[in-house]
Amino acid sequence: MAVIRSNSKSHIPQNSVLFEKIVPILLISMGLLTAGLILFAACVLLGLVHF
Amino acid sequence: MSVNQILPFFSTLIMLGFTVWVFERFAARRNPAFLFWGIGLAMFGAGSFAEAYLSLAWNKWVFFVWYLFGAALNAAWLGHGTLYLLVHRRWVHMVTGLLVIGSLFAGYLMLQAMPKLDESVFITSKPVSEQYGTKALEAGQTAPAGALTITTQYRGKEVTAVRGLLPLGTPVRLTTPFFNIYGLLTLVGGAIYSAYLFWRKRVMPNRVIANVLIAAGALSIGLASTLTRLGYGQFLYLGELVSAILMFVGFRMAARPQPDEVVVQQSIPASAD
Repeated sequence: MAVIRSNSKSHIPQNSVLFEKIVPILLISMGLLTAGLILFAACVLLGLVHF
Repeated sequence: MSVNQILPFFSTLIMLGFTVWVFERFAARRNPAFLFWGIGLAMFGAGSFAEAYLSLAWNKWVFFVWYLFGAALNAAWLGHGTLYLLVHRRWVHMVTGLLVIGSLFAGYLMLQAMPKLDESVFITSKPVSEQYGTKALEAGQTAPAGALTITTQYRGKEVTAVRGLLPLGTPVRLTTPFFNIYGLLTLVGGAIYSAYLFWRKRVMPNRVIANVLIAAGALSIGLASTLTRLGYGQFLYLGELVSAILMFVGFRMAARPQPDEVVVQQSIPASAD
């Protein structure tokens, strides 16, 4: 008999719709949105979009 | 007073509590990330309060606070805190120097712009973010109904422009995109990257969710600001409130200690030890 320490509550649960589907979709969408906003700000900086 | 005018006061209250909480964490842990987040949040709160004030009355120094802290600097200082968690400190210290010098320079440019403010165009019924900039009209473009216009010389040409508080070509406005690009990259990009790292390693689900909330909160204010500048100002105050709530919940969740390790007794063959 041995005693091992595990930390089951700090692992992402398996087969979770939230972590398997929703989180990746959110991360990709927010990444694209961020890139879009940065591009927009860069266009303002370059004078291509007038504010 | 409309519901829309009350929202910035709620945002200010949330940001005040949030800022105090973050500075307490800094006092306890001495982690520079908390210091920069605290300063960024204080700027966000000051900008939010200034916006609330400017929906009721005009004051040029409140406008100074709104533009410098609310529109230009806060995202960069918030994001800089996140950089302390992701990059080697020696490099971040160098960027800190640039951020401080850049912020002081923006403050200097803003002070230079103060005597040139066109205060006569200001009205309390429109968000200040719809009124701060003077915008040159393109050939064939017409001014929105009711807008005050001016014909002036700009870059060697005679142009017609919709009047705003800051004159056409005010240098301080050129600094804002730099700070906002840096803030978006570090705050939103940093939160997305952190969430991805935890998600890929399949550990700390609370930090995955916390970082998604922080990124969503920062993006909601970025989107609301962009929509305002495109003429949809009615979403700005709501965007700020949503941003304040999401980031507050996200930061609290990220800082929450992980559940204690659970001791599990298991039979293991002796050869495996």
